Amino acid sequence: MNILRRRLAFTAIAAALVAGTQAARAEPVQVQWWHAMSGTLGERVDELVKKFNASQQKYVVVATYKGNYDDVINGTIAAYRAKRAPQMVQIYERGFMTMMLSDAVLPVQDFMTQRHYQIDWKDFVGPVAGFYSYKGKLQAMPFNSSSPILWYNKTHFEKAGFAKPAQTWGELEKQLYTIKQKGISACGTVLPGDYHWSYLENYSAINDLPYATKANGYKGLDTEFVYNKTMVVQQVGRMKKWLDDGVMEIAGQGANPEQLFASGRCSTLLASTAAHGNIERLAKIDWSATYLPWEQGKTPKNSTIGGASIWVLKGSKPAEYEATAAFLDFLAKPDTQVWWHKVTGYVPLTDKAYQIAKMEGYYKDHPTREIAILQLGRGTPTENSLGFHFGNFTQTMFAQREEVDAVFAGKKQPQAAMDSAVQRGNEVLRQFEKLNKGKY
Amino acid sequence: MNAGNDNGLKRAHFDKVRLPVLLLLPQLTILLLFFFIPSLRALTQAFLLSDPFGNSVQFVGFDNFRQLLASEVYRESVQVTVVFTLAQNALTIAAALVLAFASDRVIRGKGLYKSIILLPYAIAPVIAGILWAFLFNPAVGPLAQLLRGAGVAWDPNRNGTDAMVLVVLAASWKHICYDYIFLLAGLLAIPSSLMEAAAVDGARPLRRFFTIGLPLLGPTLFFLAVMNFVYGFFEVFAIIHAVTRGGPAGATNVMVYKVFTDGFVNLDLGSSAAQSVILMAFALVMTLLQFRYVERNVNYDS
Repeated sequence: MNILRRRLAFTAIAAALVAGTQAARAEPVQVQWWHAMSGTLGERVDELVKKFNASQQKYVVVATYKGNYDDVINGTIAAYRAKRAPQMVQIYERGFMTMMLSDAVLPVQDFMTQRHYQIDWKDFVGPVAGFYSYKGKLQAMPFNSSSPILWYNKTHFEKAGFAKPAQTWGELEKQLYTIKQKGISACGTVLPGDYHWSYLENYSAINDLPYATKANGYKGLDTEFVYNKTMVVQQVGRMKKWLDDGVMEIAGQGANPEQLFASGRCSTLLASTAAHGNIERLAKIDWSATYLPWEQGKTPKNSTIGGASIWVLKGSKPAEYEATAAFLDFLAKPDTQVWWHKVTGYVPLTDKAYQIAKMEGYYKDHPTREIAILQLGRGTPTENSLGFHFGNFTQTMFAQREEVDAVFAGKKQPQAAMDSAVQRGNEVLRQFEKLNKGKY
Repeated sequence: MNAGNDNGLKRAHFDKVRLPVLLLLPQLTILLLFFFIPSLRALTQAFLLSDPFGNSVQFVGFDNFRQLLASEVYRESVQVTVVFTLAQNALTIAAALVLAFASDRVIRGKGLYKSIILLPYAIAPVIAGILWAFLFNPAVGPLAQLLRGAGVAWDPNRNGTDAMVLVVLAASWKHICYDYIFLLAGLLAIPSSLMEAAAVDGARPLRRFFTIGLPLLGPTLFFLAVMNFVYGFFEVFAIIHAVTRGGPAGATNVMVYKVFTDGFVNLDLGSSAAQSVILMAFALVMTLLQFRYVERNVNYDS
């Protein structure tokens, strides 16, 4: 009896051992993630994925750089149409409406809930969660979020007798003109490659100006642009004046705005907080950063986010979705968030992560790293500062830029150009509305 | 080889159907995959309004074309394309002619000259574009500094004309060698006795060029003009992308570049497809022109 029992137990243990080793030997489930992070940021993404893959044995995430944001969304579309889509893609914030209404994605909050992951979605910082949510639920996994801030050359400002850049556009303008006139630098500021984001969109949000009807698109596809009736027109005129007076410079092809700032040629730059990684590495100047300016007499509102989020695409096997969910859960972890925030300059996505960084005293050593977070969380968001939910957003932005460029070239007056930008943009919005009727 | 032999050759090959079909198959497959299927898809897409993922598609008839023709931006793009192609054509041919005629007269180091002139052809268009953009960048480019030093308010980032000049220069520079090879060959084909006779009669090089060289190069020049048009219409994408991205304010937004931005950046597939259909029509006209006027004049017997 005893012997028999012992034998049985032995076989059971042996069987369990064999099964165990077999499970361990089973091929891990592989999932694909396409992204647009190159250079320093690309290295960070590789590190991130390596950390996840090393943290467990069941899943392997393969991250592939697919070119810039435009290339990634294009590659995704082509792959989806050929039914070979990856499980996860990183898509820029401008693609939100296009992705959400594409019928090609799985809303991320439901996706995670169905797989029994307890993620505290309420902990995600307001402007980020608000942007990627629809009817109170997150549609995409926030990943790299940023906001533009004002970078400045400390030496130039001190030489001109200023402690730091002024808070309002009018005062800042005077400072930049002084710096130029005193011959302290070749140009007061350099036009950012994505100037539509900082100079026009965030300008509207911070000064609480309506950009479009229907709460900038949050409340319906029948939204219409109205920025041709606000101070944006004046802002475009101001930019043109700065260019004419040589206070602002365009980097142009063959050079980039960050270089012109980091080399000390231009005194200021409006650029994403995500430029931290690069500028800390590149700059030989004594630099600092501060909030974006606002208009005299206004109470500044929050700025809006840029960057990208991760979308889960339809059409994969259950096991692959398990792997995807595990990876997204890993991304949402405060430790991952804090690490990502520190190495890239993107804002931490959850309050917990922010609190950790703060408690560690990170912002005492790196004060400029906190500006975007404070700026994003400033005041109570209004319909004008919540963010921008436009279909075919890239296309409307393109039309707008073309019109602004026409002002810079002296071909059009600011008002005429903005009227035409709004009209062209509205045509694009109507096309999107027609295509997605009844879906939003 | 006589005619009888030719027929024998033909019969031997066409005896069975299988072999010729088999031999044609690779070429036909390539044509099917890379030409017929995409063309057909572009043609159908041009009549549709669809979301990029293709999950929601509506038939809209000629709406895409109507919108294009009504669009001021598109008309500007057509205009820009014409200006660009004409300027590029003129510059390329003129420069290639001068170079070809000059190197035809060079006696020592001919090979070296030719290699140097042919070099740009070996450079990738994007690299060429970035090179030109950098040289003429008003903030950092050495040539732009020279221009500005000479009192020229050079700024291709804001001034559309400057940007146009820059892309024409870059595109021509990249294409001169192509024209050069043909012109040099054309010059070599001119019987040297004609030139020598003229020289004996006391005609100076320039005179010889205009009265003998140029007229005899006529068919070559026409062929090159057509080829340059094709180049200007369809192959300058990379250069435009690297030098100006179609800007400023659409000043260098040639049609082929607009197809790209509307389709692959703006994701407006219907409009982009309609534009490529229009471009296809252009290509067809070019091909017909060439067949009609050039092929007919070319005599393959020497």
